[in-house]
Amino acid sequence: MAAGTLLLTLIDKICVIMVAAYLITRTRRFCEVLDGRLTRENQAALILIFGGFSVFGTVSGVEIFGVIANVRDLGPMIGGLVGGPVVGLGAGLIGGVHRYLLGGFTGPACSLATVLAGFLGGAVYLLNRRRFVGVGGAVIFSAFAVSLHMLLVLLISQPYEEAVMVVRETAVPMIASNTFGMLVFAFMISNLMKERKTASERDEYLDELEKKRMELSIAREIQESFLPETVPEVEGFDLAAKSIPAKEVGGDFYDFVPVSEGRIGLVIADVSGKSVPAALFMVLSRAILRATATGNPGPSEAARRANDLIAADAKSGMFVTLFYGVLDPGSRTLRYVNAGHNPPAVLDGVTGEITLLRTGGLAMGVMEGADMEEREIVLCEEDTVIFYTDGVIEATGEGLEQFGIERLLKVTRDNSHLPAADLVRKIAGEVVAFSGDRPQFDDITLMVLKGRRSG
Amino acid sequence: MIVLPTGRLDAPSSEELKADMERLIGEGWRKIVANLEGVDYISSSGLRVMLSALKKLRSLGGDLKLASLRPYVRETFEIAGFTQLFKIYDGEEEAADDFRRGG
Repeated sequence: MAAGTLLLTLIDKICVIMVAAYLITRTRRFCEVLDGRLTRENQAALILIFGGFSVFGTVSGVEIFGVIANVRDLGPMIGGLVGGPVVGLGAGLIGGVHRYLLGGFTGPACSLATVLAGFLGGAVYLLNRRRFVGVGGAVIFSAFAVSLHMLLVLLISQPYEEAVMVVRETAVPMIASNTFGMLVFAFMISNLMKERKTASERDEYLDELEKKRMELSIAREIQESFLPETVPEVEGFDLAAKSIPAKEVGGDFYDFVPVSEGRIGLVIADVSGKSVPAALFMVLSRAILRATATGNPGPSEAARRANDLIAADAKSGMFVTLFYGVLDPGSRTLRYVNAGHNPPAVLDGVTGEITLLRTGGLAMGVMEGADMEEREIVLCEEDTVIFYTDGVIEATGEGLEQFGIERLLKVTRDNSHLPAADLVRKIAGEVVAFSGDRPQFDDITLMVLKGRRSG
Repeated sequence: MIVLPTGRLDAPSSEELKADMERLIGEGWRKIVANLEGVDYISSSGLRVMLSALKKLRSLGGDLKLASLRPYVRETFEIAGFTQLFKIYDGEEEAADDFRRGG
């Protein structure tokens, strides 16, 4: 055979190996095995595929100087490296038995070598903790296994002199062609593994993102569905409230509780924490306070009982800062308890004086039996009370500057002529404008209570 | 054991502080001083981490003392009523001394 023809034939074989490698590595069974799913069906499929490839290796052998260089060992080796000893051995047996039946004085040695190559591939797979060994490892292994093949021919085949001749002629082309075939396969396999890893990482990331988004929207829905839909009419007062939840909701809420005979409970609160846990704790706190407040005109008593119930339920340091006031329109008094909440501010419409509604109480849920001191204030027709959560005064503008209590009081003062609903809108608008494009980190909750002439 | 959180104790950084506190308590530390001189802002999430560490330590016979609070942070603790709950000191040395005296 002329050198040029030999080269063409080799290129021809290499192309066939490449196409086969591409097709085999793209089969579903093969991919499943790469993912570690070594089911019986998958193993059987790989045995057939690589056994068939081994037979193909034998029959497509290239004749060089009267002997045949072949890639029979390649299929079983890959099968073993990818699918373990069972696959390697199975494919090796198919290729080996087929070779054995063809006869010839090297028959027994060659068929044994093929079976051994598959089995050893499987051993390498096991030693590498059930993973494909990688391009470098696979190439070195194939050079070793084919050398072993040659050694077996020398050891077993008779007559020895002929065996030596065969080995001398075929060793280099055999090792070269098998190793090159392995290089092609291993390269495709490792590419495929990388692709699949990237794809599965991306899927995981997307799943996580989707979960987070779901969580955010669930938390938001819980929180929003427990805010009052309407503001009650209170004789002699003008009342309004608004809550703008942050993207990751913070458990703010406000509530109006019909306490008894015209008296109305006003609640503004902020639960510690974020998202679903905060939203659920908000629902719990709101329900408990509603239960203890209804029919109970004393805010301190209601708050004390609510605190004990919440504290009994509060795990891992959850707490809620809460302002609770009972407004009696008849006497124009507001009796209130401040459990660790940002103190509401009363703006005297005549003098412009500011009074902060503090009682020094501890946030609810922190400690059972906490004392809840109660105070009282009389609200005149000209007064404006502004209730808020920390999301209002801690809204940050440029350079981490906070909106702050001063700015809140100034906006209130400058717009105290507005009806309550408009004032709430105005303040909320100022806070949002102050934050500009910066994301809103915390819920913004506002309530405004204004005195007005009765009747 | 003295812990020195710095910067803004908002929701994300509180998670880190929480993990640190849990690790310290898990390692067996029972008397912990939190030196807050480097903290210029604390959110309700930050308060919560402090509170759960305090509850955990007290239930184990230890305590969490606070030292060197900046005015803004002190006010946040005050509003929530937490100044009744925590022992607060001007500096970490005073807090540590108090631990040594068995306080």
